[in-house]
Amino acid sequence: MSGKFNFDPPSSASSDSGDENDALHMAADHSASDGECPAPNQGRDVQDHELEICTATRNPGSPQLNNADSSGSGEEAMPVDDEQTFEDALPATEGVSTPGHMSPTPHSKPATPLKQQGLLGQVRSPRTRRQRTSSTSLSGTNSTTCRSREPILRGKRQAIYTSGRPPWYDAQGQMVEPFVIGVCGGSASGKTTVAQKIIEELDVQWVTLLSLDSFYKILSPKQHEEAERNEYNFDHPDAFDFELVIKTLKRLKEGKKVEVPIYNFLTHRREAKTKTMYGANVIIFEGILAFYSPELVKLLDMKVFVETDSDERLVRRLTRDISRRGRDLDGVLKQYFKFVKPAFDYYIAPSMVHADIIVPRGGENEVAINLIAQNVMTQLTQRGFKLREKLAHVNFSEARPCSLHLLPSTPQVRGLHTFIRNKETPRDEFIFYSKRLIRLVIEHALTLLPFRDVCVDTPQGVPYTGKRIATERLCGVSILRAGETMEGALCDVLKDVRIGKILIQTNQETGEPELYYLRLPKDIKDYQLFVMDATVATGAAAMMAIKVLLDHDVPEDNISLCSLLMTEQGVHNIAYAFPKVKIVTTAIDPSVNDKFYIVPGIGNFGDRYFGTEPSEED
Amino acid sequence: MGTMSEVVGVVAPFDKRPSSPAASPSPSKTPKASPLAQPLPTEQPPSDRIRPNIEPQNKEGAVSAEDGEDSGHGSVESYGPHLRLITANRQVKELQTILRDKNTSRSDFKFYADRLIRLVIEEGLNQLPYGECTIVTPTGCQYQGLQFTKGNCGVSIVRSGEAMEHGLRLCCRSIRIGKILVESDADTHEARVVYAKFPDDISQRKVLLMYPIMSSGNTVVKSMRVLKEHEVEEHNVILLNLFSTPSAARTLTTAFPQMRILTSEVHAVAPNHFGQKYFGTD
Repeated sequence: MSGKFNFDPPSSASSDSGDENDALHMAADHSASDGECPAPNQGRDVQDHELEICTATRNPGSPQLNNADSSGSGEEAMPVDDEQTFEDALPATEGVSTPGHMSPTPHSKPATPLKQQGLLGQVRSPRTRRQRTSSTSLSGTNSTTCRSREPILRGKRQAIYTSGRPPWYDAQGQMVEPFVIGVCGGSASGKTTVAQKIIEELDVQWVTLLSLDSFYKILSPKQHEEAERNEYNFDHPDAFDFELVIKTLKRLKEGKKVEVPIYNFLTHRREAKTKTMYGANVIIFEGILAFYSPELVKLLDMKVFVETDSDERLVRRLTRDISRRGRDLDGVLKQYFKFVKPAFDYYIAPSMVHADIIVPRGGENEVAINLIAQNVMTQLTQRGFKLREKLAHVNFSEARPCSLHLLPSTPQVRGLHTFIRNKETPRDEFIFYSKRLIRLVIEHALTLLPFRDVCVDTPQGVPYTGKRIATERLCGVSILRAGETMEGALCDVLKDVRIGKILIQTNQETGEPELYYLRLPKDIKDYQLFVMDATVATGAAAMMAIKVLLDHDVPEDNISLCSLLMTEQGVHNIAYAFPKVKIVTTAIDPSVNDKFYIVPGIGNFGDRYFGTEPSEED
Repeated sequence: MGTMSEVVGVVAPFDKRPSSPAASPSPSKTPKASPLAQPLPTEQPPSDRIRPNIEPQNKEGAVSAEDGEDSGHGSVESYGPHLRLITANRQVKELQTILRDKNTSRSDFKFYADRLIRLVIEEGLNQLPYGECTIVTPTGCQYQGLQFTKGNCGVSIVRSGEAMEHGLRLCCRSIRIGKILVESDADTHEARVVYAKFPDDISQRKVLLMYPIMSSGNTVVKSMRVLKEHEVEEHNVILLNLFSTPSAARTLTTAFPQMRILTSEVHAVAPNHFGQKYFGTD
């Protein structure tokens, strides 16, 4: 086959056979929709821990990897980037023909797989940043879909920060199930556009978009050859790893962190890197076979089918592939009739029966999208995400929980409180006395760590039986901003402690805490953690931080929550939701006021410490 | 009834001690115990004095701190009401372990010494006089707080006592600090005062006397005499100490019964390398 020909869309390094470029087609097609993925997910980029999964070793025999790796510009060559001209990208990649160019020398192909095998050990993932830009959906919504990596969606009415994550659990720290929308439809039917528009319409800040295209199966060497000849059917259900899809979606529904594979359409294997995703209040799952598996359908709370006339879909495909990808009419048509259309008729169209809503004309249909968005909002409201308010009014018994470790109220502790609570205290004194108090809290928290008995030799020649901390792995996690004031003290007492950060801000409109930013050590589940926040009123932010850590598989009893001041409610809320989390604080105040400030309290600790309080005092 | 080792551990100080105010009440409290088999004496009073609220999880630490010590650690109260330990939790024990370990590097030694010093200082400050006061918080509420009265000062005994000055400064930014230099005669081992400089009004002040390691207690005895010559009253002195031997503790409590002593550990072996290692002159 390989000599066969010329006009080869070069997006796949291997396909030099001109007549069956279906694989490419598919690759391009799906890359398109996949390209949407990063967008809603951008905000979570900050949470990417870049955990590497070594899928590379599981896939011997995909030759293109080598291409990418061996040629210096492999990185540039890999991205299936609509915007990029392939001519620019590809020449460096050996064995690839560019349109109008002739096919590669026959030997180049066999050579690569062999090389590949040998290299496998050291092959790092072809660190391709697949900047697949906003998809192919030529839906004219470029202004919104062509987002670079900023976590903001500009909707018509407002900017939606896809990174600020409102609570995804209830007052007991239990997960509130996210709402999952499945979007299904034929190739080029406008699924991504519809998904996009739904996200824009929804007044929800934290949305995850999961694409079926991430779950293409890793091809066997034989299948790989088929793919090279473009005889592999990427539209068939067998091409997808549904088991993994279901597992991933289930975990997302539990709010757990998942590693979503990044499928490389050139190598037909998963990249070593994965994309970290979190469950969200709303998860949108889209793909041509989104409704294929019955088990999968059960996971979807709302099923949307995008119905676009097949002529129109073909026209879109043709336009997209010919004008934007430099492919020829014959190739596109052949692929369409051999794989795309049959797959639609056999698998996709029949799955329409599962749909709750069928959206004709795809993304243009604003009425339908509006209806969907409204319905989702109603459902979300019913599920109730009014966490902080709820927390402020939870009843609690008088007895304090045993997970609470309150510092003894010594004269010094009370004296320090007197300084930092006094509104007349100037900032330098406020900082000085806060630091002293913080040091005491941290020292106290350290006493709760696991210790082991040791016997040491002394210079005096008499052995001494003592204790050492049983673990080296200690990590502080400060809740921005006030929690950062405690980092210094932690570093003062622990020499090589790691510091993670979580930014949780209160939404001024809803009063709810929202998660914006997260940086944690890689293997955080193995650490003893000190979650630090200066004050804990309702405990809403602290609960969110703890929940994030639990979602990272940190055992609950590895966590200590350190603060200077808490309320009775905060203590009880946290102890109730997370009974094994050790709570360390220096004082407990009776209540919060209607602005969620602790009374009598300290005021806004962060503002007073950093000197950002509003000029007019209340 | 304790094990044999406990018995020995407890008995030792009692035996050595010729007369102590605490000796008489102890036996009477536990009628069926013979004086020799005195159980680990009276957990309650000391913990009561040291920290009002000892939390359950600290108990383990507190108890284990007493294990296997020949030093009479468990009978701190036998030195009288004015000698106290900082809360003996596992964390403190770790710091002590690191400081005693001969394999500890100098930088670690200084780091952990400073931490232990800080804990002793913080606890020492708790003993200073204070008065009640009411302040207004930023939320407009009243808070019943307290304010420490002014008129304190620190006095460090050169050289190792100076290691504690920094810790004191970190807690009290502008506190006055006096110094005493006591050297022991190479031949007679008799301590003699070489240098002393105090704030003028030291007789009116509470004095935080700082000296980390006490083996015989002679240096501190000598320093106290100097302070007394400056009309400092015994009950105004709080001695901040890290490690003391039982004999030093006894010497001081006997010689200055009104002086308050705060330490982290009373143990037969004093880590005499402290000053050298801290200042790097070993």
